[in-house]
Amino acid sequence: MSAAPPVGRLRRGIWAYVRPRPRWRELGLLVVVGCALFVGSLSLGATLAVRAAILATGGPPASLDGLATPAGADLLAVYLGALLAAHLALVLAGRRTDQVLLPTVGLLGGLSLLLMERLPQDLAGALGGLARTQLVWLVLGIGALVAVGVAVRNDTWLRRYKYTWAAVGIGLLLLTFVLGREVNGQRLTLAIGPISGQPTELLKVILVIFLAGYLSENRSLLVEQSTRLGPLRLPPLPYLAPMVAMWAIALGIVVVQRDLGAALLLFAVFLLLLYVATARWSYVVMGLAAFVVGGGVLYAAFRHVRTRIDIWLDPFSQAHDAGYQVVQALHAFARGGILGTGLGGGLPTVGGGLPGGIPEVHTDFPFAALGEELGLIGVLAVLGLYLVLIERGLRIAASAVDEFRAILAAGLSLVVGVQACIIAAGNLKLVPLTGITLPFVSYGGSSILANGLIVGLLLALSDRGVEAPPPPAPRARRGLRR
Amino acid sequence: MDPVVIALWILRLAFLALLYLFLAAVVRVLLRDLRAAAREPATVLGRLVVVASPGDPPVGTALPADAVTTIGRDVNNTIVLDDPFVTGEHAVLTFRGRAWFVEDLQSTNGTFLNGEPVDGVAAAAFGDELTIGGVRLRLERPGR
Repeated sequence: MSAAPPVGRLRRGIWAYVRPRPRWRELGLLVVVGCALFVGSLSLGATLAVRAAILATGGPPASLDGLATPAGADLLAVYLGALLAAHLALVLAGRRTDQVLLPTVGLLGGLSLLLMERLPQDLAGALGGLARTQLVWLVLGIGALVAVGVAVRNDTWLRRYKYTWAAVGIGLLLLTFVLGREVNGQRLTLAIGPISGQPTELLKVILVIFLAGYLSENRSLLVEQSTRLGPLRLPPLPYLAPMVAMWAIALGIVVVQRDLGAALLLFAVFLLLLYVATARWSYVVMGLAAFVVGGGVLYAAFRHVRTRIDIWLDPFSQAHDAGYQVVQALHAFARGGILGTGLGGGLPTVGGGLPGGIPEVHTDFPFAALGEELGLIGVLAVLGLYLVLIERGLRIAASAVDEFRAILAAGLSLVVGVQACIIAAGNLKLVPLTGITLPFVSYGGSSILANGLIVGLLLALSDRGVEAPPPPAPRARRGLRR
Repeated sequence: MDPVVIALWILRLAFLALLYLFLAAVVRVLLRDLRAAAREPATVLGRLVVVASPGDPPVGTALPADAVTTIGRDVNNTIVLDDPFVTGEHAVLTFRGRAWFVEDLQSTNGTFLNGEPVDGVAAAAFGDELTIGGVRLRLERPGR
């Protein structure tokens, strides 16, 4: 018999962090995700087989032979394997973190994979087709999620350097203003050497981190409302400056980047966090009013803004021209009806730029494609998944130990939820169409990586056994002494 | 009806049903979590966690903080700190409207907020640290 070595000596280096703790709920939910995605892949494969038979022989196949071939089974197997590996990594790390986030993100990503398999493979993607490239990004995104969720055990580096973060964010924005490449009339893409990406996606994470730091430190002052402006009660003037700056940045993005979506997203998240921190409706109302006024001025002054709004108000007047995408998306929703046409059963020309299809379906209109193929029922389920993400985030916020973590968690989940709402509403012609992505579903690396980062941070914040935040440094503060 | 069409319909509906099965499973987890949270007493406004202490309230104790929480050595205080450097009625922590305030009740050794002496009244926030005698207390949200 050999004596077991003492635990302290056994656990060295990385092994010190391995403390397996089962996560049965997560595993159970992941099994449901796996089943759903497998059935979806079967449905897609059968529909595509029937469609091929109709094209070849003019009629549907008489027998069921050859229909039971799941489409893209190899890609799906890799994806589900990645989810399982993520689960195992979380089990081994043994932190008491949330068990719903990973399966929810996994299902959204799986829907994205099925959709990309179904679209024409030559739409985009450098690594052998749309679906393969998307699979790579999804696996990297889940990797980022798990890495952040396991490794981040301390938030000092987030809260202490909030002005550094703000500087990084503004630098990123200015870099895009100057060096950005124009795609479809929007200056969204930043390419430095071989690396290109959409900085807006990173910017939203940085914004939430900065706002969490700023608002948690100055919350009591913002609540004070000592300045009066007619009937309005405002916070002390110096503390209004960041808000005005935020408003200017949002409008600047519209003017220089021509990116309505990012402006809407950043400003909406800013107002929501202001409300979360202060519980004052007046700020939200004032912010909205300022945004509407600014928007009105931009509408009068800039042509690209006017085009967007006009398309939104009446796309059918330019149905073959500027309003083409929006009209096709509306037709897609109409074809889908309540139950949808089934995966793979939409118009054969969805995407691909052919007549009857939606251009940019893989980035801007995945919601319309899901609406056509899964119907109202399916689209409601997708919205339900985003709702679950928001609920988890707000729940994590409600049980956080201090203001910074509470505002950070609320902001991180709201940024994902608001983004999903803006692009879904844009697809449905409820708000002007904007070029932002549907989180975890749209094709594109920046978006999936940034959102993976966000959910990873949420996961880290949800840890109930996390070490207490350090005591705040003595501040030279804040005019409230008497 | 054509068996092929029926098979396609079954697969489509099964996929949609599984999506909702997932949502139902998640909602079950969420409801259980919310019920567990609702069972815990939620009337506390905040809590004071003992970070350092020479003796009586041991380190790690979480003391509930009400709208008015008096702190001192006297037994009539809400939070009694049995430390010779603490005055009988040492300080009071209040929650007014939406913010916390610490008031030093002219104690012998003073009250410190994040290392700075409290002169009269000072605004406090969650995450701040109070030093009273040899005891350090951190104000935390009541969550979880």
